[in-house]
Amino acid sequence: MAETLISALVAGLLVGGLYAVVAIGLSLIFGIIRVINFAHGSLLMASMYAGFWLWHIWGIDPYVSIAIVVPLAFLGGYAVQHFLIRPMFQRERTYVVEPLGVLLLMAGLDMVMANGALLFFKSDFRAVTVPYGSAAIHVGFLTISITRLLLLVISVLLAFGLSWLLSRTELGNNIRAVGQNREAAALCGLNVYHIFALTFGLGCAVAAFGGCAMLPFYFVDPNMGLPLAIKSFIIVVLGGLGSIPGALLGGLTIGVLESVGGQFVPATSASIFSLIIFLLIVFFRPKGLMGVLEA
Amino acid sequence: MRDHAKAMLTILVCALFVVIATVTFGYAETHPKEILVGEVLPLSGGSASAGAQIRAGVEIAIDEINTMGGIKNMGGAKLKLILGDSKTTPDGGVAEAERLITREKIAIQLGCYNSAVTFPTTEVAQRYRCPHLVNVAVKDEITGRGYEYIFRDFNKASYDVEEMVKGVKLFTEETGVGPKTVAFLWEGTDWGSSTHDFMAELYPKAGFKVVLDESYPPGQSSFAAQLIKIKRAKPDMLIIACYTPDHIILSKELLTQKLYFPFGLWSVGAGSEDPTFYRAVPQKAVEYMFVQEDGDIMIKRRPFYNTINKKAKAKLGYDLNVYVLCGYGTIWVIKDALERTTYSPDLATFRRNIRDALAETDISMENCADMLTAPNGEKYCPALVRGIQRVKFDAEGQNTYSHGQISQNIKGIHWPLSPKAVRMSDSPSLIWPVPPWDKR
Amino acid sequence: MKQRPISFNWIAAAFLLAIAVIIPFVLNKHPYYVHIFILVFLFGYLSTAWGLVGQSGQLSFGHAVFVGLGGYTSTILFMDYGVTPWVGMFAGLIVATLFGLIIGYPTLRLRGPYFALATLAFALALQTYVVNTQMVGPIKLRGAMGLLLPLKNGGDAPAVFQFATKTPYYFIALAMMVSVVLLSYLLNRTRIGYYWTAIRSDQEAAESLGINAGRYRLLAFLLSCALTALGGTLWAQYFHYINAERGMALSLSIEIVLVGVVGGWQTVFGPMIGAMVMIPISELLRAELGGGFAGLHTLIYGLILMGVILWLPKGLNPLAMRGLNWLGDRLWSTSTPGKDP
Repeated sequence: MAETLISALVAGLLVGGLYAVVAIGLSLIFGIIRVINFAHGSLLMASMYAGFWLWHIWGIDPYVSIAIVVPLAFLGGYAVQHFLIRPMFQRERTYVVEPLGVLLLMAGLDMVMANGALLFFKSDFRAVTVPYGSAAIHVGFLTISITRLLLLVISVLLAFGLSWLLSRTELGNNIRAVGQNREAAALCGLNVYHIFALTFGLGCAVAAFGGCAMLPFYFVDPNMGLPLAIKSFIIVVLGGLGSIPGALLGGLTIGVLESVGGQFVPATSASIFSLIIFLLIVFFRPKGLMGVLEA
Repeated sequence: MRDHAKAMLTILVCALFVVIATVTFGYAETHPKEILVGEVLPLSGGSASAGAQIRAGVEIAIDEINTMGGIKNMGGAKLKLILGDSKTTPDGGVAEAERLITREKIAIQLGCYNSAVTFPTTEVAQRYRCPHLVNVAVKDEITGRGYEYIFRDFNKASYDVEEMVKGVKLFTEETGVGPKTVAFLWEGTDWGSSTHDFMAELYPKAGFKVVLDESYPPGQSSFAAQLIKIKRAKPDMLIIACYTPDHIILSKELLTQKLYFPFGLWSVGAGSEDPTFYRAVPQKAVEYMFVQEDGDIMIKRRPFYNTINKKAKAKLGYDLNVYVLCGYGTIWVIKDALERTTYSPDLATFRRNIRDALAETDISMENCADMLTAPNGEKYCPALVRGIQRVKFDAEGQNTYSHGQISQNIKGIHWPLSPKAVRMSDSPSLIWPVPPWDKR
Repeated sequence: MKQRPISFNWIAAAFLLAIAVIIPFVLNKHPYYVHIFILVFLFGYLSTAWGLVGQSGQLSFGHAVFVGLGGYTSTILFMDYGVTPWVGMFAGLIVATLFGLIIGYPTLRLRGPYFALATLAFALALQTYVVNTQMVGPIKLRGAMGLLLPLKNGGDAPAVFQFATKTPYYFIALAMMVSVVLLSYLLNRTRIGYYWTAIRSDQEAAESLGINAGRYRLLAFLLSCALTALGGTLWAQYFHYINAERGMALSLSIEIVLVGVVGGWQTVFGPMIGAMVMIPISELLRAELGGGFAGLHTLIYGLILMGVILWLPKGLNPLAMRGLNWLGDRLWSTSTPGKDP
């Protein structure tokens, strides 16, 4: 029994790492810009396609392609905020935008990107096959996939790295300032829109990083984005909006709950679990586990 | 000219005119220019890749028929394809059926791959009295509702599961060893559930003990939780019903975890019949896997393969699979029926006549009106290319001669092993039980 | 001052209604077009019912679940217990209202995006449950198979909400849409409507005036769920099939939202206008492009949504109203020159 639970725990942490890396970017975007990036899943999908094609056409290993895809994702995110979301802010002429409007805009973008991918890449499922894809390390009775473990490590490092960036660098301070009070930040001379765009780009870049690291054991297809995005919303709220460590913790928690819960109930019920937890958090503790913002 | 002659000439010309007119119109009455064939498929949404495959087969067949002169019985009328996109949703399928049947005025309909879509879409066809030939969808109840306009030239879910049980029994008989326990892992939505219902019924009846019966919601990022349960249950055999994306993740995790089932991993289809699945996983992950194939898996050896594959590859970008042949074969079944149909300019009557002709269908190698000749001289019947031997519908519209085969993946090739009749002369022998991971 | 004994708007509405009544008879030989109209009315109905929540300032992203609840309740009552859907639809209304209470009450205090996400999560949880469950107690949900409506008398049984031709469905859908729009319009002119407007514009200010935002929000939400459920029964009866995978799906919720938003989601007539524009476009796109370029029509849908948000944030409603006023001025003004101030 103990064996089963430990196996489930470890498996849950590994899946949690995947969830977390998608959620971290989302949490950052929401915490600073206060917009729900409904298109987060499609942006992840786009970066995974980029990584796939780099592998498929030029044989570039997914981990190496990170160096190419992440900057591109950053630029893409910057562009999305700059061209699409900024006009909505400017229309309001304050720094607070009707969040529902942006949510709908992003939902539209999500539809456009997913179907654009369908048009260009067709609906076939693609995956990367690398020689170390099934490599595993054995710890006692556990068999742990190396690629999934790597992703967990990456997500932890990204979470800490991002937190460090936010608290210890000038850029990070600026971002947090803008997140706390935009008018005041503007009065202090910060270019609020530029910082928004940087933040959005950063959020996408983090997701792209994780996406490339997912390629060795996952697959890509046009419709993969939305289910992952919905999971991320749950995690972001669970962990506390705007809290990067919260997103990490939230992801790991959900992963473990689904995995351990799945030992006692069918997986379907376990997946409903996480949705119910989301609802409970939203009702009773909107701040989430480590949140700094009110729901 | 004298008046008398002029009059005669005029009357003659008029008479000729009348005769020609009558013949032309009469000809048109019995000889339409084209016959509209509707096909409702998932061209977008989750099942879009399968939709594209079936579509390719349908288009190739229609092209061939038209090039060879169309429907001879109707003066060489050409077939015209009208596609409907179900968007992999039932109401999408229903809406497209409504459009195809009432606005586009198709004479006959095919479709729709997803059982959940085919179910209500065929109900629309029945309501409008438009014949519908199901070309890929296994839910048993699709035929069996007493709908005389609905026909299916494909397996029912019960056939699929029966074939697997028969396969296990055959292998056990031949080698003297076989599994005692079995575990099911199935996707919890339409296709998985209907297949599972028969698995849960037929396997215990055949004497196997079900040690785990686990459903999962499609779209999981990891099967780790289920794999832990499976490891604990230690089944002799694992049977899965997964769509492509889940199958990809499952296979990769099975490989990493090196889970061992003495009598193999058995897949009911879907993912394991999708060529894109095999491009996405390493061979090691699928070695020795048994697949319940929906058709002839040795199609590469058939004399007609290259002819059809060249065209399919041009459309799809990869080699054809059984779904392409399903689309292809059913169009030839329709051609066969149309050749026996009396045309009527009244659409309702025409559809009724097509329906009656379909009900009379009996195509086999000995009795095939549309035999074609392959490049190597061999003759083949295009309606049977999927690998079946006969097309004949029972009172419920089901082709009871539809069947698949059980294959084992040995060194990357799917070798058909059950029933015995489909075994190739150069086939490697069955590997049963399958070797443990360290011996591969 | 221009004086009109009867508002032009009412004349216009009556005129449109008259045309709507004639249409199915004119298009008798073209059931496909009647079908499109039915879809317009159905989505017009669903989006207007959904829009009631919008009038109180919230965006629900999971409204399809109430369509499913309504359709499932009335259909199961019919299939397994022989209750006619005419009665069953009200049972569906009650069921949906109960579930609406379950999700609506705790989420009262939530701000916009959180409320949206909460409704999304709730719908997803319920949908996942229904899709994967065969039986709950004595009730046969039938999981992913969905419910195929058994035809009585070959589909010609008005007593159990089954009709052989499209015309009755047309009129029922039309009546439902007109009723719900009328209801929305009338509510808007009552105290409740004023409170909704106040809450929607500035919740804090409204509360400082003593308006119990929570209570009125909940009212809007429950009303919306109840009405949406009736639409679910119409769905089941018209398509003869309802399943949770589609009937309670996020995709359906998004479609309802999209129609409402394009029309103008916080207005009375907006969602209806949205349906009148988007549904025919959708059908046209799919009929022309769907086969050839898979996904193109949904892509265009997404572009339209983005375009509306960016450039027409209040949707098409203002345009329609302005057009109506212009027309009214042209055709109906009874002012005499010289008398105007």
